[in-house]
Amino acid sequence: IFEYNGSALVAMVGKNCFAIASDRRLGVQLQTIATDFQRIYKIHEKIFIGLSGLATDAQTLYQRLVFRHKLYQLREERNMKPETFASLVSAILYEKRFGPYFCQPVIAGLGDDNKPFICTMDSIGAKELAKDFVVAGTASESLYGACEAMFKPDMEAEELFETISQALLSSVDRDCLSGWGGHVYVVTPTEVTERILKGRMD
Amino acid sequence: MKFDTSGLESHGQLVGASDGLFSGFPTAPSFEIPNTTDFDCFQKEAIQMVKPAKGTTTLAFIFKEGVMVAADSRASMGGYISSQSVKKIIEINPYMLGTMAGGAADCQFWHRNLGIKCRLHELANKRRISVTGASKLLANILYNYRGMGLSVGTMIAGWDETGPGLYYVDSEGGRLKGMRFSVGSGSPYAYGVLDNGYRYDMSVDEAAELARRAIYHATFRDGASGGVASVYYVGPDGWKKLSGDDVAELHYNYYPVQPSVVEQVMVET
Repeated sequence: IFEYNGSALVAMVGKNCFAIASDRRLGVQLQTIATDFQRIYKIHEKIFIGLSGLATDAQTLYQRLVFRHKLYQLREERNMKPETFASLVSAILYEKRFGPYFCQPVIAGLGDDNKPFICTMDSIGAKELAKDFVVAGTASESLYGACEAMFKPDMEAEELFETISQALLSSVDRDCLSGWGGHVYVVTPTEVTERILKGRMD
Repeated sequence: MKFDTSGLESHGQLVGASDGLFSGFPTAPSFEIPNTTDFDCFQKEAIQMVKPAKGTTTLAFIFKEGVMVAADSRASMGGYISSQSVKKIIEINPYMLGTMAGGAADCQFWHRNLGIKCRLHELANKRRISVTGASKLLANILYNYRGMGLSVGTMIAGWDETGPGLYYVDSEGGRLKGMRFSVGSGSPYAYGVLDNGYRYDMSVDEAAELARRAIYHATFRDGASGGVASVYYVGPDGWKKLSGDDVAELHYNYYPVQPSVVEQVMVET
């Protein structure tokens, strides 16, 4: 089921910044339906979540998370911290333990004093915190290899963008079900840069 | 079953086969049967192993000047791309081409075998074999192995004395003569473009561009096709490779990126 729509997601940590990137393909098994599908969503200025796996579950889950976050904002009159948000996602996923959402989220955010935070989860909410990079999707094995090879700690925003783009593009070139371009968000304390990558369209 | 490996030797038995009923026809080369306890399931597993490899797009069509043959170059195993540079157009002899779809090993071996038989025919009869004859040879061999798990979906294209010839031959034993064919998981997309743009009286360049476009569109939509779109032309003096363009470059040639206005939003911290 995870390979029904196809996806590739990666998030990396840099120096006081993070980058999160996804592919843009939406397919039904081998047939490509769209090449501009959005997988990364903004929760608030400093938290982004990418959802890989079954596209319908990704969209539904995103809508539920936005709802919960807005409620939190109204009650607490402040934005959620990334660690808290990750726990929220994990709880929502575990609620459906015996009929899960077929999604693997990748959460990336800047915490208090702008410390970058990334984590990924499996489809029933097991958090995996990492200090360097996290990956998800059908191309995840290739992504692990590419990230492991290309990652350096404490990269600046521009270099981080280059690294994450190269890792994403080279991994999806080895996967039939993901690719057709890339979408990269680089987030620093002062700005969010969204870029679209030209990739192999096959 | 006779353990005849005439396909592997340099001479086959063209004359005087053992069965009186079929004398004069070459017997099908047969292979050793594996020693397993469960022969039927062994075959089923072998079929499953080969099955994922039918991810491909190949096409061929006859037009006024000859035959145009084109294919992609991606080999996939399930979701994983194992290679982006597979030669799917096999040169049987200087005036005949075969395309590969299905099991790569099956196609390569049987096309080479067919090439051997064609050459033997030439030597024995002092004239080239026709495309009809060559495709019939292959179809008969594949029919003998029907149900045993071969996966071959090939097109035999060539130019003989009667002009251009194109046949579709598959491992179920089917053989069809036609003017336009496309085989593989990307074939519906290729057919759409091919059927729309096809005219009998095209020039070689127009036909090459049509073939290239059809393969490009198939690689765009089909996940299991991609890599390089190679186009071959078969004319009166044999085949010629016209182009091998990387599909990614073709995309940006056909649909160049329009630079759009970028908005920058400053975030207050």
